[in-house]
Parts: sequence; C-alpha cells; structure tokens
Amino acid sequence: MAMPLNYTQLLETNNLIQQNVDESYWLCVTRTVQESKLFPVPSYMMLSYLMAFYRYPSLLRKIESRMSAEELGDRSREMAMKHRAPGVSWGLPNFYLLGREWLINLGVIKPTDAIEDVMYVMDFWKRFQLSLHRNDGHISRAQYGHRGQTLSERQAQVFHSDLYSCEAGDELHEAAHQFMASASQYGFLISCESRISLHNHGPYKLSDTSEMIVRDFMDLAESDFPWLDGVAKGVEYNNITVTMAAKDCHFYLVDDWGSFEAEPEFSAEKLVGVGLYASDNLSEGYMPLGMNSREELIATFKRLDGQVKEAMNNLWRRIAGYSRDQMMDAGAITYFAIIKDLAHIAGVYDVDDWMKVDERAERFRPLLNDEYGRDVLGELVGLLSNPSQKLSDYSMMMHSNAPTRMYTPIPYSVLSGEPYTPTAGPLYPGITNLPEKDDVYTTTRGKMTLAEYNRQSQEFTPSAVAPETRFLCDTWLKYHAGSDQADSLYRITQASSRKLAGKGSTLTRDEVEALRD
Amino acid sequence: MAKLYVDSDKFGEANASPTVEAFHAAVKDLVRRKLDASGGHWDSFVFDKSYGLLTAEDFAGVERQLLDAGHLFDWSAAISPQERPDIYKPIEGVGDDDMGTFSFEHEDAVTGTQGDLEQRGQGDNVARYPQDCEGIARYIRSPMQVMKYLEEGVPENTIAIIDDSGGTLTAPILEQFKGVICAGGSTRSHLGILTREYGVPCVMNAKISGLKQGDTVRIECTAAPKTAADYQKNVDRTAKVWRVAAAG
Repeated sequence: MAMPLNYTQLLETNNLIQQNVDESYWLCVTRTVQESKLFPVPSYMMLSYLMAFYRYPSLLRKIESRMSAEELGDRSREMAMKHRAPGVSWGLPNFYLLGREWLINLGVIKPTDAIEDVMYVMDFWKRFQLSLHRNDGHISRAQYGHRGQTLSERQAQVFHSDLYSCEAGDELHEAAHQFMASASQYGFLISCESRISLHNHGPYKLSDTSEMIVRDFMDLAESDFPWLDGVAKGVEYNNITVTMAAKDCHFYLVDDWGSFEAEPEFSAEKLVGVGLYASDNLSEGYMPLGMNSREELIATFKRLDGQVKEAMNNLWRRIAGYSRDQMMDAGAITYFAIIKDLAHIAGVYDVDDWMKVDERAERFRPLLNDEYGRDVLGELVGLLSNPSQKLSDYSMMMHSNAPTRMYTPIPYSVLSGEPYTPTAGPLYPGITNLPEKDDVYTTTRGKMTLAEYNRQSQEFTPSAVAPETRFLCDTWLKYHAGSDQADSLYRITQASSRKLAGKGSTLTRDEVEALRD
Repeated sequence: MAKLYVDSDKFGEANASPTVEAFHAAVKDLVRRKLDASGGHWDSFVFDKSYGLLTAEDFAGVERQLLDAGHLFDWSAAISPQERPDIYKPIEGVGDDDMGTFSFEHEDAVTGTQGDLEQRGQGDNVARYPQDCEGIARYIRSPMQVMKYLEEGVPENTIAIIDDSGGTLTAPILEQFKGVICAGGSTRSHLGILTREYGVPCVMNAKISGLKQGDTVRIECTAAPKTAADYQKNVDRTAKVWRVAAAG
C-alpha cells in the first residue's frame, strides 16, 4: 500500500486536501462555534485531531489489509452506519488534516513530515468516497452542490413504496415526530454535544411535489462506546433509519454535517410519509421495523421513543458525574472514532485501537484548558489566523476572498531533494480514564461479544455486493431491466418490502407510487 | 538554538488570540531546546526521540507560564472551574447563592418601555407560534441546576434563560420548559434545532439586560423566524423579549 512519491501523485493529494479546505471552511463559518456548559467541547475536539493524526494511517492500513476502501464504500451503500457520513465523508480527512495543521503551528512537525501518511489518508478517502457515491458520480456532497443521492434505484423504490402516509395531527405523524426529536437529543448526548450520531441523505424525488430525505440515527445502543454500557441496555437497535417524505418544499441543501435545508422551509406539517428501518454491516440491507401495518409502526415509534428517552436520562446522570478528563476522553473518542465502523465491516475491530487516547496525543492534554481550546479551535477552523494558514496578499480564498488556507499542502520541493519523513510511525499504546468497555455489541443479529462480531463480519457479504452483483450498477440496469439477472438483484432488496417483494426490476417511479397504501 | 521550519514564514503573522500566541511561542521554544538536546537531527527527532522528549509535564509548564504571569482562563464547561478553581475566572450565576442578584447584561440588548411592556432585549426566533410565550424566568447554567430540576421537576411555566447553545446540558428537562431564551448560538444551533423539534418557543442569540430570576417574561415568538439565508445576508430580524412583572 506504499504510495508512489511523484509529481502526479502529489498534485492529486494536494488537490484532495484543497477540496477539503474549501468545503470545511464553508461548513465551519455557516455554523456558530459550539460550546457547552456540560462538555469541554473545543478542548476534546483538539485532542481528537491529534489522535487522528497519529493513528489513522496505521488503522486504515490495518483495515485495508483485509478489505479495500472501494469495497468498504460499496458495502456502505447498503446500510447506514456512522462511518459513512459524517465519518469518512468529512471526519476522516479533516480530523487528520486539522491535527497535522495544529502540529505544524506548534513547530512539532514540518509540512514535509509524514508525507506518505498524508498521501495514503487522502487516497483512501478518495477511493472510499468515489465508491460510496458511485450512484451520483461525485466525490463529495459539496461537489454535487450539497446533495447526497447514495441510494440506487432498487433501494429508493423500496423506501418509496413502503412509506406510510401521515399528516400533521394524526397519530403516526405525532409518533414519528416525537421519536425523531428524542433520538436527535439523545444523539447529541451520546456524541458529547456533537451532531455526529445524526445524518441525512437525499433528496430523492418522489413526485412533482414531493421529495424524500433519509435520516439516520446511529450508535444508539450498547455497542462501541463505554459510556453507553448499561445505560443503553434497553435500546433495541444501534442504527435506526427514518425515511421521510415531504410535500411542497425542495431540499436544496443536504450537507456532510447532517444539516438539511428546504425552500420553503421544512416544517412539521410538510411531513407526509414515514418509514422505519435498522441496519448494520451484518444485515441484508435495511430491515423494516414495525412496517407490517400502520398500527404496528405507530407502536414501534412509541416503543423506541421510550427506549431512547430512558437511556438519555440514564446517560445524562452518568455524564454529569464524570471528571473533566473522562469528558475529554469521551468527546475525543467520539470524534476520533467517527470512522471506527470501517473496522467492524472488515472484521478487525479492536477496542484498544478505537476507544483509547494514543499516548503521543495524550502528551498534549495539559495544554487544553477551556480558553486555549476555544481560541485555538476558532483560529484553526474559523479565523484561519495561524501563521501556516496565511498566504500571499494576492490570494483570495473560496468563500472569503481572504489570503488564507485551512490546510498546508505537501511542498513539491520534496521531489527536488528537500528532506522529508514518510510516516508518523506504527500504532502506539493508548490510555483511558473511562471504565473498561463491556464485551457486548448490539447488532441486527442481536447482542454478541466482540470476537463473535468480528467473526460474523469476516464471514458475511451482503448479497447486493457479492462478486456476481457488485458491479451491476444503475447504468447497467438502464439497459437490462427485466433480465433475469436484473430481477434477481432487485429481489434481494425487495425481499423484506411489504409492497415490492418479488416485483423485479421493471417498475417505474410512478408505478411504485401507484402501489402505495 | 535550533531553528524550526516554521521560523521562516514570509506570510505568517501572530495568532489572533494572545493566549494561543503565548502557548505556541512557548511550545516552539520547547521544541527548539529539546531538538538541540537530542543532537539537532530532525529526522530522528520528529517521530522518534520527540515522543520521549516532549512530555506532558513540559506542556503543563506552558500553561503555568501564563498563570505565573497572573492570567486566569475563561471557562466554558462547568466541570473545568469546579475541578481547577485556581486557574479559571470566578464562576457566577450557576448556583442558588448569587441567583437573587445575577443577570445577563449584554451591551447590545435593546431596552425600553412600550405601553405596559418593558422590553429587556431581543433574540433570533427559532419558529413561529400563534401566540407569544409568557412565563417565569429561571437561569440554567450548570449541570448542578439541571440535576436539581431533574430530581424535583421543572416548576411550571418556566422560561429557561441559558447561555449554552448546545443540546446536552438541558437534555433531560428540555421538554418541560415553556420557553427558552438562549444568550448564544443561532437558530441552527443544537438547542435551536431541539426546541423546534419539541415545539418549545425559543429565541437564540439573545441579547438581554436586567432579567432576574423569578421575573415574569414574555417572548415574541409570533415574530418571523430567522432563517439561514437571513444569517448569510446579515438580515436584522429579531423577536422581542419583555419583562411583564419583576420577581415578587
């Protein structure tokens, strides 16, 4: 997996870095700085960036020793886990590059250090993203004008056909809305004030007046995070997806930070259809939850709402009793481990890899009081006022026109003899201030030990991405609808659909709409 | 003394924050000294010797330099000054002791009298409701206060005054508020998102003055919400915050 050090490769790496500069600056300045009276948010974020810098290259190489970034991307289209977005899509390159940039400004590393690591991390990101976004053909949502159409037609059709209609004031509307509010709030708490347990993709056009957004709520149950052990015992599903049809508005922005915006503004009365699913790397696509009848769906939303509310109250009490170092650990791990599900998919997950603070990063913790954490984060991602981020006065940055740049490229001078170092080194040990993780993982196949989870992950390949189906894309389907091969591919996804089971590959969107309740 | 790569920087300027500038200067000085001590060879220092030479104790010394110069740090998380009161500025308005006199005092709060109503500030309305929201003001600024309400229940008609735009501090009690005045964030902040989802009237980015614990307050949540486009175009669109009656 050694990357060639040549001009072509460096040009590409620096372009990938720059793409993240442009988008990250936009994402950061269109939000306010997030502080919290509960968590030392900026300080734990800064710690997480160092963890990413020191560990991501080694961990990604470990994952790719078993499964390529391209295959991980293919599998990730078939289910909703956190690694997908905002994980790899934004967190992977940016957490890594933010750690690098901070260390450059501390004088601890040079722009010419660890360049094979930098090239590899950016290349992994590129290959995963292109694969994940194969259906819309972009490398990122920014490149698609802040839109993310991850689903193939066969997946979109099942979500579309199985939506239950609802309207403001009816019981399903209320139950769905209440669950999404509770799950959002619980998600913020699980993720230590960040929004990375929540995400959305879409929109998908259902009719001239209706669009569908797919909302994912992730890492809700006892699984990877030690702080959920016990308190989230009653939460049945780790990853929950709510499909949501909206009328009379257009979602013009669905970004990599889990935000969506519509024109006219999306409000509760515009919600006209919902569906409910669970998924992970051990499921055959999305498993419907309570979707056999409207009554069952209402009851399921209410049951899950009760589960997350109870877990939230339990978790809040636990966290309110944490020390600052424990809060720092939980927050930093939440950020750093945003891509941990890649290791689950490959079946090589190790608690010490993902739930510990690397000792090289740990050294910097004493710097991270609230004020320095706040100010250095603000300069790094908002003001772009670190010395390394200043450019010639002729320069005009995208979105700001200022002579600044968030991340330093690799200097091309390494090709003409300037000394460089290739890597930050292998994986070093980690520390934790949190209780040891219980050996219990909630999956779509029930609760299991980590060893069992890794074993089942290594043995399982979803049928839709098996060698014989993996490359049967929507372009191929366009010219082969109705063939045995196409019907058989569609029937995999339709198997658990109450409306489309066995219907094959020839239906149009309007025919799917006509089949709805 | 060893020279660092970043010591020659044609375009770089000092950091905007004096604290960041001081910390980074001290760390760079540390790196120069440790690099010298290790023999001055960068390649063997950067990802090898430096791991043992640049220690947590060294970085603790960086913070100590500012403290020794008389600096006290701003705090944001309540746990921080609770654990290390010696390094942070004093805490106010987080317990019952000083709540009788505490109030947010924002310079850009718009105040004045309009008929029977006394305007005490303004904020960005998150969502429009059919009627303005009236209730009793209660400051909530720490986990200890939230724990108390979690144990005892939130008093009816509470309009929470908060300066944390996040969604976690008040997570277990947010649904019980009649309204929220948040002195921070925007309508797109986590607290704004959650109050909208729960249907709790809320103004974010509030600038207020003179509102005390127990005052009867009213939020103009019938006003137009502030949208993302408003923020991008710097449109001045606010909702008023009134005091209807002072705490008895």
